[in-house]
Amino acid sequence: MIDSLFSWIDDRVALSRSGRHLLDKIFPDHWSFMIGEIALYSFIVLMLTGVFLTLYFVPSSTPVVYHGVYAPLRGQTVSAAFDSTVNLSFQVRGGLLMRQMHHWAANIFVGAIVVHMLRVFFTGAFRRPREANWMLGTTLLILAIFNGFLGYSLPDDLISGTGIRIAFSIMESIPFVGTYLAYFLFGGSFPGTAIIPRFFILHVLVLPLLIIGLLAGHLGMLVKHKHAQFPGKGARDDNVVGSPLWPTYAAKAGGFFFLTTGVTALLGAIVQINPIWQYGQYYAYKVSYAVQPDWYMGWLDGALRVMPSWELNLPGHMIPTVFFPAVLLPGLTFNLIYAWPFIEAKLSGDTAEHHLLERPRDKPLRTAIGAAVFAFYFVLFGASATDVLANYLSLSLNVVLWAFRILCIVVPIVVFPVTYKICLELRATPGAGQRKRHNLVVRTADGGYTTIAAEEYPGYVKAELEPVALDQVDLVSAMAADADQGTEGVYQIPRDYR
Amino acid sequence: MLALALAAVFYAPRHPAHASPSRPLGSAVLVDARVPGTSAALAQGRTLFDENCSSCHGTQAQGSSLAPNLRGLGSATVDLWVSSGWMPLANPGVQPARKPSHFTPSQTLGIARYVASLAPGGLAIPTVDLKGASSAEGFSVFALNCAPCHTITGAGDALSNGIVAPPLHGVTGTQIEEAVRTGPGNMPRFSTFTVSKQQLADVVDYVTRYVEHPDSPGGGLTLGGVGPVAEGFVGLFAGVGLCVLIALWIGDRNESSGESEPGHGDGSHDEGPGTETPEREVAHA
Ligand code: HEC
Ligand code: HEC
Repeated sequence: MIDSLFSWIDDRVALSRSGRHLLDKIFPDHWSFMIGEIALYSFIVLMLTGVFLTLYFVPSSTPVVYHGVYAPLRGQTVSAAFDSTVNLSFQVRGGLLMRQMHHWAANIFVGAIVVHMLRVFFTGAFRRPREANWMLGTTLLILAIFNGFLGYSLPDDLISGTGIRIAFSIMESIPFVGTYLAYFLFGGSFPGTAIIPRFFILHVLVLPLLIIGLLAGHLGMLVKHKHAQFPGKGARDDNVVGSPLWPTYAAKAGGFFFLTTGVTALLGAIVQINPIWQYGQYYAYKVSYAVQPDWYMGWLDGALRVMPSWELNLPGHMIPTVFFPAVLLPGLTFNLIYAWPFIEAKLSGDTAEHHLLERPRDKPLRTAIGAAVFAFYFVLFGASATDVLANYLSLSLNVVLWAFRILCIVVPIVVFPVTYKICLELRATPGAGQRKRHNLVVRTADGGYTTIAAEEYPGYVKAELEPVALDQVDLVSAMAADADQGTEGVYQIPRDYR
Repeated sequence: MLALALAAVFYAPRHPAHASPSRPLGSAVLVDARVPGTSAALAQGRTLFDENCSSCHGTQAQGSSLAPNLRGLGSATVDLWVSSGWMPLANPGVQPARKPSHFTPSQTLGIARYVASLAPGGLAIPTVDLKGASSAEGFSVFALNCAPCHTITGAGDALSNGIVAPPLHGVTGTQIEEAVRTGPGNMPRFSTFTVSKQQLADVVDYVTRYVEHPDSPGGGLTLGGVGPVAEGFVGLFAGVGLCVLIALWIGDRNESSGESEPGHGDGSHDEGPGTETPEREVAHA
């Protein structure tokens, strides 16, 4: 019945030929290839919960008097944006859960992108022909961070308002054009009434569309290049070895989607995030001591904190301190990330195509550079918590601040040679990272003890299957044959298979 | 009876530390601790002071090289410093930290009244009256006057130069009024011009009902009220971390089924990575 329905549809739409291609796409099996999926799935969660939030959120800074259920706010004049966010948290069924899930998903989204990029970086997956996709991914990271910041600002609460104010002065610090740029984006001087509706449109429409478009390009290129793979049994530069999209990979990915959603829902349900009712409406004259942005802006905040107050006095123009940590640093950072594939190709002179990944230890220089740079940003991220750390460690804030100033220089300098050395050691040690064989202590008949090496047990070394070549075998019958034998097959296709 | 009623207003259930059962409520006629009267309480206060405080503050509370003069400070200051556990000082040279008080509320009161009786001046222990107090007003006043140091959630934070604005999570209404009016340590003193009597009651109402219960009305674990830093760590390590672990678990399943290839003969296909064998129990030599 269903079969005939399908073939009826198929006769008209003729999808099965191209569809078959997609379903036959071979995914190499390695857990680290699934990290990017976390970002994809949390983006889906973001869209679903976000649509829910837009049903109740009022993107306007019109003053209204709060009349909701939270007593300490009752009677206060707040913006419609703040009012509606508090109301959707307390008076809409499931509203707070949705809000918290949305916020946690945003944190996970950016986090997963970063971890995914680390994976790509340290395995050399950005090399030709994937440089363009690396740059596309970097753009996605920037958009994700930017959209996170916009979303964080929408409730118009005390803490995010402070953040917008900082953003405003950062923009103003850009030489020559800064003031115009800031006034243009904010529709006048800070805070004005234009930001909330403008940020809203950017946050729910413009940036998501950009992200979806670029994401489609990102995945399209992935399909086109086919996945890179670790060298292993049968894996070569000119083939792809792994499991087919249908059914193996689809089952994995589907399960993974639900589990990622589950993690987000779990956090949303049990861990409070951004309790804006405790912060209250943003007013320029109200301040809370030491506020921080969400973590993905944390490194910028940290850079602002550790930066000594130096100003550059050019003739006729003064460049304020904030320019260096908040404009120059991210500018350099992202340009460096964009340019890395080309920098590395230049340095190594290797401009050939690569589809086989490298283990981090096999490229000690790249790994050490990556680790050192990452350590630098990690220290900056930590520096955004100077006050919290000082409080918890009962140290003076100044001591902690100076510690971070020193750490952000020293840590990368230490990390570099240590990582380099570890890579060399790992390379020189055969079997490093693999489990050792047990030694059995055996008691002999006359009461003595001897030690003998245990037998290798099955699965001691990961046995890899010889991949079945797919261009010769029909996928369905190959899988049926494997199923008869009780194995899950591993298949290979040529990389230029269409 | 009157005393009981007074005490009930004074130490309403909002002030758990003072409402401890050990407190003989009947003895509290606490309108102005400088008014000489219940000499038994004074005598007890004197004994306690001599035993616990005079080594640093001097026998007449006149101060020494170790500790400042307390004469003329008034009972409010003494009550705050003793009831919050700051005194007797544990580590000289470090800002005193809140800890469970050494003394029962009535002992504290005795000490406070004794010190206040030594010299005129200072502020008497205030009477907290929350009738007509508005937490909404209190929230506003708090955001304006207290959040710049204690943070908007009242979680407290490190200010510059090793000064800490302590968390306001366990403080009592009396302690809040005492702190605001006397300005302990590095905290400024707020006069009635800055924060009126009514506004102070509003702040007390807000802090004791909302700041001290950051988990209500909802949302789950509060992560100490320190905001995005803690949230970021949870998001990265619990959120992304858990997802990556799941990826590890799902992603390697295929390789493990390779382990149980026919020929290895352990025959269990449906077990995850590491279909381990009894050799697990073998001792490592
Ligand atoms: C180990 C020595 C020591 C002991 C014991 C001690 N104090 Fe203190 N006390 C100090 C020091 C030092 C300060 C100043 C602390 C500061 O300003 O941070 C102080 C400050 C005070 C203050 C605040 C003075 C002001 O100017 O605001 C009060 C009130 C006080 N002590 C009362 C007491 C009482 C009551 C006791 C006994 C229960 C006591 N102290 C026991 C050392 C001590
Ligand atoms: C300039 C920063 C500052 C401001 C503003 C400030 N405080 Fe404080 N507060 C402190 C510091 C610092 C301490 C710790 C005193 C010490 O031991 O040195 C403190 C202590 C306290 C305590 C005692 C805490 C305890 O553990 O017993 C209370 C209660 C308190 N403050 C309430 C308030 C209230 C209410 C306001 C607003 C009206 C306020 N503070 C405004 C800095 C401040």
